[in-house]
Amino acid sequence: MSRRIKLFLVPVLSIFVFVGFYFFDNNAESSDKGPVQPIRFSHKIHAGEDQIPCQYCHSFVDVSPNPGIPSMQKCMGCHTHISGRDVDYDFGGTIINIQSEIAKVREFWAKKEPIPWIKVNSMPGYVHFNHKRHIKRGFDCAVCHGDVASMDQVHKVNRMNMGFCITCHTENAKDHEELTHLKDCLTCHY
Amino acid sequence: MSQDKKGGIKRRDFLKIIGVAGGTAAVTGGCSEPVEQLIPYVIPPEGIIPGVPNWYASTCRECPAGCGILVKNREGRAIKIEGNPNHPVNKGASCAQGQAILQGLYNPDRTRSPLLTNDLGRRQPTGWENAQKVLAAKIDEVRKKGQNGRIVFLSDNVTGAFGALIDDWMEAIGGVHISYETYAYEPLKEANKRTFGIDKIPTYNIDKAKYLLSFGADFMETWLSPTLYTKQFSEMHSFRDGSMGKFVQVEPRASMTGVNADEWVSIIPGTEGILALGIANIIVSEGFSQKGAELSSVLRDYPIDKVSEATGVPTDTIRQIAQDFSSMQPSLAIGGGTAMTGTNATETQVAVNILNYVSGNIGETIDFAHTLSISDASPFSEMLSLIDSMANGGVDILMIYNVNPVFTLPKSTGFEDAISKVPFVVSFSSFMDETTEKAKLIMPDNTTLESWGDFIPGPGIHGLIQPSMTPVFNTKSTGDVILGVTANIEDLKERYKETATFYDYLRESWKTAYSSVAGLGFDSFWNKALENGGYYSDVPPVQVSLSAGLSGAALPEAAFSGDGDYFFVAYPSYKYYDGRGANKPWLQELPDALSTGVWDSWVEIHPDTASNLGVKLGDYVVIESPRGSIETQVYPYPGTRPDTVAVMIGQGHTSYGRYAKDRGVNPVSILPLATDKLSGGFAWLSSKVKLTKTGKHAQFVQTQYTTHQHDRGIAQEVTLTEMQKGLPPVDHELPGFYPPKEYARYRWGMAIDLQKCTGCGACVTACYAENNIPFVGKELVAKRRDMAWIKIERYFEKSDNKAGFETRFLPMMCQQCGNAPCEPVCPVYATYHNPEGLNGMIYNRCVGTRYCSNNCSYSVRKFNWFQYKFPEPLNWQLNPDVTVRSMGVMEKCTFCVQRINFAKDQAKDKGRDVLDGEVQVACAQACGSDAIVFGNLKDPESKASKLSKDNRGYKVLHSLNTQSSITYLKKVKWDKA
Repeated sequence: MSRRIKLFLVPVLSIFVFVGFYFFDNNAESSDKGPVQPIRFSHKIHAGEDQIPCQYCHSFVDVSPNPGIPSMQKCMGCHTHISGRDVDYDFGGTIINIQSEIAKVREFWAKKEPIPWIKVNSMPGYVHFNHKRHIKRGFDCAVCHGDVASMDQVHKVNRMNMGFCITCHTENAKDHEELTHLKDCLTCHY
Repeated sequence: MSQDKKGGIKRRDFLKIIGVAGGTAAVTGGCSEPVEQLIPYVIPPEGIIPGVPNWYASTCRECPAGCGILVKNREGRAIKIEGNPNHPVNKGASCAQGQAILQGLYNPDRTRSPLLTNDLGRRQPTGWENAQKVLAAKIDEVRKKGQNGRIVFLSDNVTGAFGALIDDWMEAIGGVHISYETYAYEPLKEANKRTFGIDKIPTYNIDKAKYLLSFGADFMETWLSPTLYTKQFSEMHSFRDGSMGKFVQVEPRASMTGVNADEWVSIIPGTEGILALGIANIIVSEGFSQKGAELSSVLRDYPIDKVSEATGVPTDTIRQIAQDFSSMQPSLAIGGGTAMTGTNATETQVAVNILNYVSGNIGETIDFAHTLSISDASPFSEMLSLIDSMANGGVDILMIYNVNPVFTLPKSTGFEDAISKVPFVVSFSSFMDETTEKAKLIMPDNTTLESWGDFIPGPGIHGLIQPSMTPVFNTKSTGDVILGVTANIEDLKERYKETATFYDYLRESWKTAYSSVAGLGFDSFWNKALENGGYYSDVPPVQVSLSAGLSGAALPEAAFSGDGDYFFVAYPSYKYYDGRGANKPWLQELPDALSTGVWDSWVEIHPDTASNLGVKLGDYVVIESPRGSIETQVYPYPGTRPDTVAVMIGQGHTSYGRYAKDRGVNPVSILPLATDKLSGGFAWLSSKVKLTKTGKHAQFVQTQYTTHQHDRGIAQEVTLTEMQKGLPPVDHELPGFYPPKEYARYRWGMAIDLQKCTGCGACVTACYAENNIPFVGKELVAKRRDMAWIKIERYFEKSDNKAGFETRFLPMMCQQCGNAPCEPVCPVYATYHNPEGLNGMIYNRCVGTRYCSNNCSYSVRKFNWFQYKFPEPLNWQLNPDVTVRSMGVMEKCTFCVQRINFAKDQAKDKGRDVLDGEVQVACAQACGSDAIVFGNLKDPESKASKLSKDNRGYKVLHSLNTQSSITYLKKVKWDKA
């Protein structure tokens, strides 16, 4: 076969396969399941039914680039007293027992070990996203994270790629000067 | 692949291609992301907010100067050191050594737990409880013999609570405490005793002097308090209101301090005292000063002709110095370095004191109220008697704390042999250095950043040391170990029962010492002191007068042993001090200010001497003294006398971790045991050596191979006369093809005053620390692949001065060009011009064509040829706000954009713009001489903005019209009498 055709085919086929993955492999980016966490922690119960505000647990979100995750001590602040109902619960299709899930938290606490949560939304190291600026500007958590109060297992709602950021920045910039700043690479990449 | 004649595709070929394509897609498409975990705190530490830095004030203990530091802590890890602006010594500045404390803390070669040598001679890890019990039992055993002084605690000059604890403990167990400082400045102390009756080392007020005459004092490098004096010198030597101070350095080898002088006077080693008295003689005999008539009978013996002949300094130079010294009042003469390390050092220093006295400088520029605590270090003679005692079996337990005498003392003292005769050696060193290798029991101390303590460099400065993080390894502060060991000794159990930890001991000792100032509210006093880094108070001035018995100040000749042709200068290093800095890769990779050499030793030889010997740059020579020989590479340096050769102290370790071991040579090892006759201090400058060519040659690894500017006008200067006539205002705008760029609120820029830059490299190290710059090692530096974002360019310019050359230093980093050559050539827009005037470098966009680097006019772009490693736990130091770059990516300075963004974030919280001074880039922050000023050029009131419009301002390679954001201010040259 001619060398030219071969050289041409490699990139063309690569692109086809790549495009295929890009459009049809939704699973990796916005799964409606999310990862299986070490404890079936339900945001639906905590943020939905119990109406605990997001910042009660993610308390640094308005003072730091990092929102913070609750310490084990914070979990135990409630779960020393609340041991949960001994009932089956439909956790996004998986049947769990609430009391035995809470018992797992107490086990970790007793061993003084942290729960190794799996990150759902994660930014690459070269992106410096600042939660504080977005919260101070008055954005609701749900704008990016979706209606967490209705999810048992939190999953990705938005593909948090640069297009997502820039679209929102373009729509919300107050004036041209701010838009210039919000589209500047060095705002997030350094 | 096989070829089908008809040109179709064979099935096998198709499969191969699809395999490659699929594989590529799998890699690029990202089927599954790596699982990242979120680990919560079990119990959240108080005061830590992830993502927000905490700062802890503490005190640096890398050298005896005792500068105040602020330690930046992120998520429980110390990541950056900065000078403490409230501290009276360094006022916010730092040096390269101070910046590199972190690489001591996170050094991968630290001793990770107590080690005990077992009966078979094997070193084995042990627990703290056991180690303390072993030491307690040994102490008990020795005490039962009933003889005092058989236990010796050998430390550096510790002060404050820890010093008191050691003294008290030694008293309790019948031991002796010896404070050994490598550079103890004994002749200076002795001379002050003889001239003024004060057995102390004073503080000098260089900033108040109009004329500074330094006899060998390397005050920008190691002498007494280098950061303090760099700052003072910058004050004194900066051009202001039509004038500036003059600085003359007299020494046989122009040190970094020497090349910063307006005039370097080359002098025969050991004759500095004669010159000082000769100058004093002119001042007194010609009536330049009213003082000193009573000394004229002594000074009469030093007529100018005789002085000139003895010192090798021309008569007109001597006369000029005498005139300037007495007319430019107040003046100041100081002595150090080569002038204070000969066998006649005390007399030399007495001569310098006399010179100060006859010019009326005592009390003006010399301050005996702020004496230095290093005056309290034990005399060298005590070390010699210790060695004697050890060799004769007089010492049963030797405890070593924070000193490394096997390395820092010459072999001729016999310390190494003597220590082998001590039955039980305990080392508290956190590093396996040469002395610790001899220890039976190693009880690794916490580093300064992990411990509690205090340090008092002098009266009125009570520095506190507080831990900025929990210990990295299983180490324990020596204060706590002493308390723990004592609790294991039966009859001493009760001694420290009030203070369970050294922290308690420290607090109690402060409570007693400062009860008068703290009053009842000790807690608030203590907290305030912790916040400020210590407690600082005023000290009443001390009046001094000349001792009556000074009339007979005879000045003997300096004695030199050996029959070589060359005076041998072993000089202390501003990077390694006495060798302690050599295990820190940042300091190893920091190019030497003069030779720009890295990771090695070299011998500095005058170019004429080199050509007489038939050697050139990079050739190996053997340096032979009566006490041994070393072999190292030649660096021809016009700042050395033809009859002198010089080697830096600090390299040549035989232990001390992977970065220090087997690197370079230790010049101290071949020094004879000679002392200054009057003070008893060790005399480094006491031998003459032979040089022999070996015929071996290797590349001399340095970062700047040329010493010439090749008429490009990179580092420019202007004469004082021109300055006083007035320079015309400058306009940096060149006509361009495109309309000038507009900036809305900020245009970040910098002004660098070449008059102030001393070439010390603190900025370079600070940049490494702030921006996660990898060190690459000697082999890669040899290939010009060092990664420094800021470098100090040094040029030796031909000059009509007496030395024949002058030195210019120029900090060079990305110029953030308004019209950048790198930007248009990037095929992927990885580098671009940002709306605030920064030349952005987006690592994740970069594909590594290196076109930008080829097109950069300033050679400031660095390419990641490899995936550089930060061996665990050095990677703990990495700044989480800066991306760690990977292989194949270009990188460069972006004016610490993470700091700019942080300041903008803080300002936005307050609803305003960033104010001048709120963003300090790492290099400007560290700079001891305030040469670098960073700020917003759009703000006409900002300091940087004002300096950028200075008439001395120029842009490097201006004709290229790069519209750089950095304005350099020309160096001002003394051109008149």
